[in-house]
Amino acid sequence: MPRPRRAEDFLPLHPLEFRILLALLDGATFGTRIVQAIEAAEPGHSRLYPANLYRRIRDLMSDGLLEATPAPRGADPRRTYVRLTRMGHAVARAEAGRLRDLVADATRHRLLRADP
Amino acid sequence: MSESRGRRAYRLLLRALPPDMRDRFGGEMEELLDHRLREAGASSVRRGLVWLRALGDVAVQSMALRFEERRGGTMRLGSIVQDVRYALRGIRTSPGLAVLAVMTLGLGIGASTATFSVVHGVLLERLPFEDPGRLVVVWPEVNANKAMTVMAAERMPSLEAVSGLSGWTLTLTGVGEPREISGLKVSANYFDLIGVRPVLGRGFAPGEDLPGAGGVVVLSHDFWVSAFGADPTVVDRMVDMGGADYDRRRIIGVMPPGVADFPEDIDVWIPLEGDPAVTLQADDTWYVNLRIARLAPGATLERANAEVRAYAAAVQGELPEHFAREDVDRATVRELREYRTSDVRASMWIALGAVGLVLLIGCFNVANLLLARGDRRRQDLAIRAALGAGRVRMTRMLLTEAGVLGLSGGLLGVGAAYGLVRVIVSQAPEDIPGIASVSVSPAVLAFAVGITIVSTIVAGLVPAVRAARVDATSSLGGGTRGADRPRTGRLTPALVGVQIALAVVVTIGSGLMLRSLTRLLAVDPGIDGRNVVTFNPVPPAGRYPDGPSFRDYYRRVMERVAALPFVESVGAIHLLPGTTNNWSFPTYPEGFAGEAGAPTPFANFRAVRGDYFGVTRLPLRAGRVLTDADREDSEPVVVVNEAYAHRFWPDEDPIGKTLHIFSPQGTSYRVVGVVADVHQHGLQLEPLPEMYFSHEQVPWNQMSMWIVARVRPGTPEPARLASPLRDAVWSVDPQVPVTGMAVLSDVLSRSARGTRFLTVLLSAFGGLALTLSAVGVFGVTAYSSARRRGEFGVRLALGSSRVSILRSAVTRSLLPVCVGLIAGLFVASLSSGLLESALFGVSASDPLTFVGVTVVIALTAVAASAIPAWRATRVDAARVLASE
Repeated sequence: MPRPRRAEDFLPLHPLEFRILLALLDGATFGTRIVQAIEAAEPGHSRLYPANLYRRIRDLMSDGLLEATPAPRGADPRRTYVRLTRMGHAVARAEAGRLRDLVADATRHRLLRADP
Repeated sequence: MSESRGRRAYRLLLRALPPDMRDRFGGEMEELLDHRLREAGASSVRRGLVWLRALGDVAVQSMALRFEERRGGTMRLGSIVQDVRYALRGIRTSPGLAVLAVMTLGLGIGASTATFSVVHGVLLERLPFEDPGRLVVVWPEVNANKAMTVMAAERMPSLEAVSGLSGWTLTLTGVGEPREISGLKVSANYFDLIGVRPVLGRGFAPGEDLPGAGGVVVLSHDFWVSAFGADPTVVDRMVDMGGADYDRRRIIGVMPPGVADFPEDIDVWIPLEGDPAVTLQADDTWYVNLRIARLAPGATLERANAEVRAYAAAVQGELPEHFAREDVDRATVRELREYRTSDVRASMWIALGAVGLVLLIGCFNVANLLLARGDRRRQDLAIRAALGAGRVRMTRMLLTEAGVLGLSGGLLGVGAAYGLVRVIVSQAPEDIPGIASVSVSPAVLAFAVGITIVSTIVAGLVPAVRAARVDATSSLGGGTRGADRPRTGRLTPALVGVQIALAVVVTIGSGLMLRSLTRLLAVDPGIDGRNVVTFNPVPPAGRYPDGPSFRDYYRRVMERVAALPFVESVGAIHLLPGTTNNWSFPTYPEGFAGEAGAPTPFANFRAVRGDYFGVTRLPLRAGRVLTDADREDSEPVVVVNEAYAHRFWPDEDPIGKTLHIFSPQGTSYRVVGVVADVHQHGLQLEPLPEMYFSHEQVPWNQMSMWIVARVRPGTPEPARLASPLRDAVWSVDPQVPVTGMAVLSDVLSRSARGTRFLTVLLSAFGGLALTLSAVGVFGVTAYSSARRRGEFGVRLALGSSRVSILRSAVTRSLLPVCVGLIAGLFVASLSSGLLESALFGVSASDPLTFVGVTVVIALTAVAASAIPAWRATRVDAARVLASE
């Protein structure tokens, strides 16, 4: 089966995959930094363990949403630095839009109160 | 667990992941795990939880990735979640089955994990030495002197370095209460040889084992913490530490934790002094208990073993009075780790093997349950097949169900293992090396994960594949009548047969051990240790410098003890029966020549005081016992045991004969009495020839004595008398440590602890095996009888009696039981020989055990099959026929 090419084809995104994409919006980095970014952004997030994290990163890479990038000067060369591809950007944006629509719907049903 | 070992274990675990992922991210994954471990801090519970979650993380993701690969990468975790939901729904519909399966697997996995943690801790755990696989023991069968140690290094090119080891008890004074500590004399190269560095100060310098240079001491980590409060300025302090060569020693270093576990629980290391110029014959350091060495680069154990014979022959040539030709023939070089655990190795593997069989029985039980369940769910599966579910998908669905059961069983098992390990460690004999540090380590958890996966596959795969092989048309169109015949076919009875066979093997093992223990406990130790309290006051070296003052000290102590109101009589002996220490000397009995060329015979040497023979009720066979009247200035006398009399004067009256010790010249001792034999070193060992001397008449001034005090009948709990006894000793001299306070009968029965331990383990496993196979037979009969209710109804309506129906149902169930019994007896007769070395007084093919076990298992199986079969025959024929 040919791989989907449109950003919408990837939706809905797994929450952890979305978190990874968000963590990479600030630029290329590596696994442990991604974990720290996720846990800093959402303090209640359950502790991430290696196999789970890297399996997601691997999947996102093979789907073309992330790509490896050379380590910055002075960094440990054994680490794999990854960054968002254009498709990765597009998917993150599409997922954010989807979530926004969902929240709007929930607000309309008075599940949430609209922000003042 | 050290960091590097943790990393190795994790790297091993990562092999479950696809290679590309491992290659690309392996290092970073270790880094992230380190990060998690650092967050957990030093708490072992929190670190354990991190390890558990890391294990679960890899297990879940590797499973998800494998499925993904098989589905061409299009599948995500979603369908696994669906499978898990289906499995949970299935479990909810028959909770009884789930509980039974989880309990069965949990018990099996828990018992196996606990046993493995002991095996891992004792047999597989590495000593904290550098490259411990290259460390060997040289000619461990004999005691040696230091010159022999030096000679081994010269004569055996395969050895890079050799160090002598000798255990000594030292007396520490001036640091807290006076007390005994355990010291190890070692050659100066010892720490370099085993490759450990001190955490503080230094190890021994070359030359510090020369005469007069060795007034130094290296502390073990535990001792440094307990005696000196981990004081970092302890190096260069002088301590009063008497008992071997010096009264004061300078502390030069502290070793890291773990080094003291070899040979066992060392407090301090001190130099093994010796003059390198002394000849083999002139060297009197005959207390070098063990020689350890490091194999030279490129050398092999085989080559070292070839060299040790030549070396031993050379030693024997120079010291024919010390060593016999047989000693040379038995000379070996053995790997240190194998040597250290050789006493318990067989027991450990036997226990692990037995518990493995129990787990297998449990797996077959679960397999049978799932087979029956798959059969009941045929229609449900047929509908799924008709709607297009592929066989692979259905197999996966059913395997997931087994997986959920297995995982729950595994979690229960790991929880149970934590408790079981504590029980096992508390019951184990403390002389098993490393037993105290046994715990559920990450490696043990990895083992638990492994056996959980294997158990799940064993229990789940066949039932899943069979159930998924459903034929939609026949199952949906056939109505209920077609389902009367169980589809599990011959598989279920075959599994029952194998279960019974395995149960026979395990139960016979435990039966043999039980019989062995009974025999061992029935051995008369030769003395009566009940109501006898014993303890060992050890004056610090130099406190009583000559023979008279030393003996006077013990005379006064015994007077004070005898004056206590609850004490009936008091005696003393320098080596307590039931302990491992021994003094054995060349003996020259009057008129005994022996065979020409044979080495001089040896006999055990014991010095006694006071009413030792009366206190221990050691029976007198002839003549008289020693008394306080046998003093230094009276005629030298001796009492021998029956083994001595029989060996050296088989047809003569020993009373009045004389004997010499050490050489045919010197003091001649006249035999005044013969006493019964005592099992000095354990109930399982034959008594050896023995000589009892009066403490007043022996040629050594300073031998510490064990006081034995018989308390009056009716005194509550002899063990509680420690405090008044100690006060009595300290009223003579408060500077003398009192050690080893115990009831003598406990000391004597300690030697049976090893047998008792293995017996308890194997009996528990035997009981478990019997219960699980009974549950198996019960389950299978219940299931097949329920399936045959219709048939029973028809037969009842046609006039059959309930008894004849019951008989046919039970007979059908018992056929596989009989086959299993026969096969089990056959396998047990082949395998029980493995237990031979652990048995005492019972042959490995003991007919009573074999017959007894057969009867017990057969009766259990009959009961387990008759109950459900009887229930099934209580059918109402009319209702059954109406429903047909």
